[in-house]
Amino acid sequence: MSGWIASLEYATGGLWPYLVVIIFGFLPTEVWRVIGVFAGKGLNDNSEIFHWVRFVATGLVTAVVAKLLLSPQGALAMIPLWGRLGALAIGLGVMLATKRSIALGLIAGELALIAAGFWAAS
Amino acid sequence: MSSAAQSNSADESSPLSHALNGARDAFGLPAITICFSLVGVGGLARDIGYPMLAGMLSSALMWAGPAQVLLFGSIATGTALPVAAIAVLFSSLRFLPMTIAILPLINDPRRPVWQLLLAAHLVAITNWVEGMRRLPDKPKPIRYPYFCGFGLIVLVSGTLATGVGYFLVGALPAILAAALLFTTPMFFSVNLAGSARRWIDALPIVLAAAFTPLATLLVGRDYDLVAAGLTGGTLAYGLDRILRRRVAA
Repeated sequence: MSGWIASLEYATGGLWPYLVVIIFGFLPTEVWRVIGVFAGKGLNDNSEIFHWVRFVATGLVTAVVAKLLLSPQGALAMIPLWGRLGALAIGLGVMLATKRSIALGLIAGELALIAAGFWAAS
Repeated sequence: MSSAAQSNSADESSPLSHALNGARDAFGLPAITICFSLVGVGGLARDIGYPMLAGMLSSALMWAGPAQVLLFGSIATGTALPVAAIAVLFSSLRFLPMTIAILPLINDPRRPVWQLLLAAHLVAITNWVEGMRRLPDKPKPIRYPYFCGFGLIVLVSGTLATGVGYFLVGALPAILAAALLFTTPMFFSVNLAGSARRWIDALPIVLAAAFTPLATLLVGRDYDLVAAGLTGGTLAYGLDRILRRRVAA
């Protein structure tokens, strides 16, 4: 059994990659959405549990975003931490200063990051 | 999946037109952001020798950028697949509270479960953040078709971008590649912060962000996301509860 799974790990031909994506990727992800539908259907959206779930959902989403910034993968790791956080602060500042324009905040943050990249490289 | 919107087009003012409205609103920043966040996944699929369509299938079915990175990254480093699947399971835990939180916005008593499951499949960070921000302002009957139209366009865009990234990644100058990777956290930061209407809404964001580096140090990088999200969210909930009781008293 473990030999069979081990042989899967390095297989790249035929249908194996698709099976790997479905069995080891799709199922462990989708199960939470399915449980969420059945657990949420009976829940009163004014109940204390629902309030808590909402705050935790926002917290979990934020943690993903924070991790992308703090422990970046690939090319983003070249930009020093001060550059990433500075660009984030500039983007957020512009968003707040422009009646919460998400587009302008995003563009300002991107430009600041590119500037930080050139600064750090020079 | 658009047939979900078409099938009951007999009642009310055509759900299809609401789905199309959602689809139209998804073009622009939401679609661009998901493309930027999933092009990298295409590059990862190629790095481990998988076919392009397997990379695209991971976007359409898993629909969870961080979990896809985890799965392909684990395969790249030779991690046993069942171990990788458990890591994927843990990293996707957020979909449970996210689905529960958005459900009352799109649910109504007449809607069959399979339609809710279809909408739940669209739940991922982009669609969830946008849905939580846009849906409360819309009349209840149009929310479900709107969310499905919006979410489907974002999902299809991300899936196509994964295919493009399969060939594109590696051909970009380093600074542009960095800017591409920065789009995801920057977009969600302005989006999350911009949709916080009261200061208490911003509290779980600030707390979870502050706890993330702490959690990485304390519990390691496998469980830090869950730990930071749970503690930050629960603390914010506790404070909100105290404040609500004070107002009620």
